[in-house]
Amino acid sequence: MRQRMKQSMEQGTAQAIAERAQHSWRLPLAVFAALLVGLGMTALVSGEPLRAYLVLLTGALPDIGWSAEHGLQMRRMARFGAVLEDAATLTFLGLAVALPFRARQFSLGADGELFLSALAAAAVSLYLGGPAWVVLPAALAAAVLTGFVWGTLPGLLKVRYNASEIVTSLMLNLIAIQFYRLAVASWMRDPGAGFQVTPLLPAAATFSSLLAHTNVTVMVLGAPLAAMLAWVLLMRTTAGYEMRVAGSAPAFARQAGLPIGRTLVLAMGAGGAFAALAGLHISNGLLKRLPVDLAPGLGYDGLLVALLARNEPRLIPWAALFYAYLRTGAQAMERSTDVSREMVLVIQALIILFVVTDRLLPQRWTDALTRWRHAS
Amino acid sequence: MTPDLIADGQGIHGLGAALIVLVIAVLRAAVPILFAALGGLVSELAGCINIALEGIMLVAAFFGVIGALYAQRWFPGLPLWLAPWLGCAAGLLAALLLAGLLAVFHLELNADLIVAGIAINLLAGGLTVFLLATLIGDKGSTAGISTPSLPSLHAPGLSGWPLVDQLLNGESGQGHHVLIYAALCAVPLLSGFLARARFGVWLRATGENRAAALAAGIPVRRVQYAALMLSGLLAGLGGVYLSMGYLTLFQADMTAGRGFLALAAVFLGARRVRGVLGAALLFGAASVLATRLGALHWPTQVVYMLPPLMTIIALMVAGRRRRRITNF
Repeated sequence: MRQRMKQSMEQGTAQAIAERAQHSWRLPLAVFAALLVGLGMTALVSGEPLRAYLVLLTGALPDIGWSAEHGLQMRRMARFGAVLEDAATLTFLGLAVALPFRARQFSLGADGELFLSALAAAAVSLYLGGPAWVVLPAALAAAVLTGFVWGTLPGLLKVRYNASEIVTSLMLNLIAIQFYRLAVASWMRDPGAGFQVTPLLPAAATFSSLLAHTNVTVMVLGAPLAAMLAWVLLMRTTAGYEMRVAGSAPAFARQAGLPIGRTLVLAMGAGGAFAALAGLHISNGLLKRLPVDLAPGLGYDGLLVALLARNEPRLIPWAALFYAYLRTGAQAMERSTDVSREMVLVIQALIILFVVTDRLLPQRWTDALTRWRHAS
Repeated sequence: MTPDLIADGQGIHGLGAALIVLVIAVLRAAVPILFAALGGLVSELAGCINIALEGIMLVAAFFGVIGALYAQRWFPGLPLWLAPWLGCAAGLLAALLLAGLLAVFHLELNADLIVAGIAINLLAGGLTVFLLATLIGDKGSTAGISTPSLPSLHAPGLSGWPLVDQLLNGESGQGHHVLIYAALCAVPLLSGFLARARFGVWLRATGENRAAALAAGIPVRRVQYAALMLSGLLAGLGGVYLSMGYLTLFQADMTAGRGFLALAAVFLGARRVRGVLGAALLFGAASVLATRLGALHWPTQVVYMLPPLMTIIALMVAGRRRRRITNF
């Protein structure tokens, strides 16, 4: 049975690859079109649109210079470090969205998973104490466990009560974010700080920086590893195989007697575990303390990354790097020109819109075009 | 507010007055959610879940304020009462455009409705702050400049009945915002439209079974276009109320999740107009409760957790009721 399923899967994959090759120009085209529309908007509001756009596209690069007296110099490393830090967050979030996607589950719950697991990691780091080799693994375990459990909830609600995972994951996000705010403002607040924030995490519980003036920590190196791990889980384990079948051929999977319910729950939980890594990265790597107003909406950035990588785990770090590069460039653009950095949000939205379209032209137009061609 | 009102009122009259104040506060908080939830209901019944309610509200709120502001600047001779209405029109137009964008991407270009909806939300969030920074020079809000608001309707000749007067004209005696009345009118209108009008029946048939509706000769695509546009219009009214009634300014991200709560209200209300009204009022009450607790320095977050929690429980109960073979 499994053998036969595998054969048909491989045929399906071959077809998918052929289709993908046919459409391989579409992804760059979508990105290019979105950037072009962004340029148009910049031209409407800015006095110097071309320079602004140049900063957007190159502002994130380190400045490598050579002079006789100083030798090789690299400036703006902090900015490039910011790209790497952001890319790590986005990689984890992209994986969090992509894994449930492969099982055809729309989990929008990455936000909630991230908030709760960051909270769990910070709580363990604050109250456990001890040397780094105790605290850090404990914080990691707490975060991943929290993310996994919270991630399974929409799956359980769907399997057990047939509730749409889109709605439940959105609702669980609202609950998780309020709980996070409650915890930071009421229970974990640093009384000495002027605003609502947890105390600084002890030094033993934070990841140390590998690059001067940046927060590039071991978590940044962990991002590609996590992507490999997700790939192995998806492509080289039985559970991952079941996820893919449940996603690409649900009717077939049901006929073959695969444990669909368990598979869905597991896929969503695995997504939660990866979102938890983003939470750990933010709390113990980047901020080293948690403010009450940590901005929600990061989960949607994960959606963009997953879409750009077409839910392929090995491509996710690259997609994340691209978007992190663009975002850091946008900050540089805001600082040095008259264009505000929210422009990049518009570009992000447009990329998503253009990537998920199936056609370049409406069906009716293409039909009319074919008719016209046949007539003439 | 309640304790002192009860203290200096006399018995039953004081209690009635306090109750009226509460009802009005709940109504005010519920109206934006109600508008958006009705919009969400229309598109949901037509088989198109509208995730973009949040973004549509936000854009309508923004262009309502900006439209009114620029109407005053560009046409200085304009009568004073007209500018907010022009703003309202601008806000609704922006909402329709955004809903139309979603409809075109979903129905013409085959984009996934949920992903496209999320993209619309991101677009709205980015675009409003971007334009706010460009036009006003402030990324937070339009608080620095005074912006007009839509008028309130005052019911005259009620001074003989203080309780009725308070109910219909509010505590300050200025009357209720015109969009509150519009929301209350929209509920029976929409209910009748969905139940009686041919187009309403088509709309429900499309959502129930698209293939069957198509086979029956219903112009499915046009129905879904209309449903998404109507949904955008209603959500736009909610957004305009937020920035030109509930508050008289635009703030970045001022919808603050109301669009998602509206989506929740659709499901909590079991996809019926009356149920949606009840759910929206419930969410409005939760928001009023949170504000009152916040004034007493209680943690308000617990109250904000209630609406989503109630929605999940409602979904669980509904799922248990019609437990059929799950198809995913």
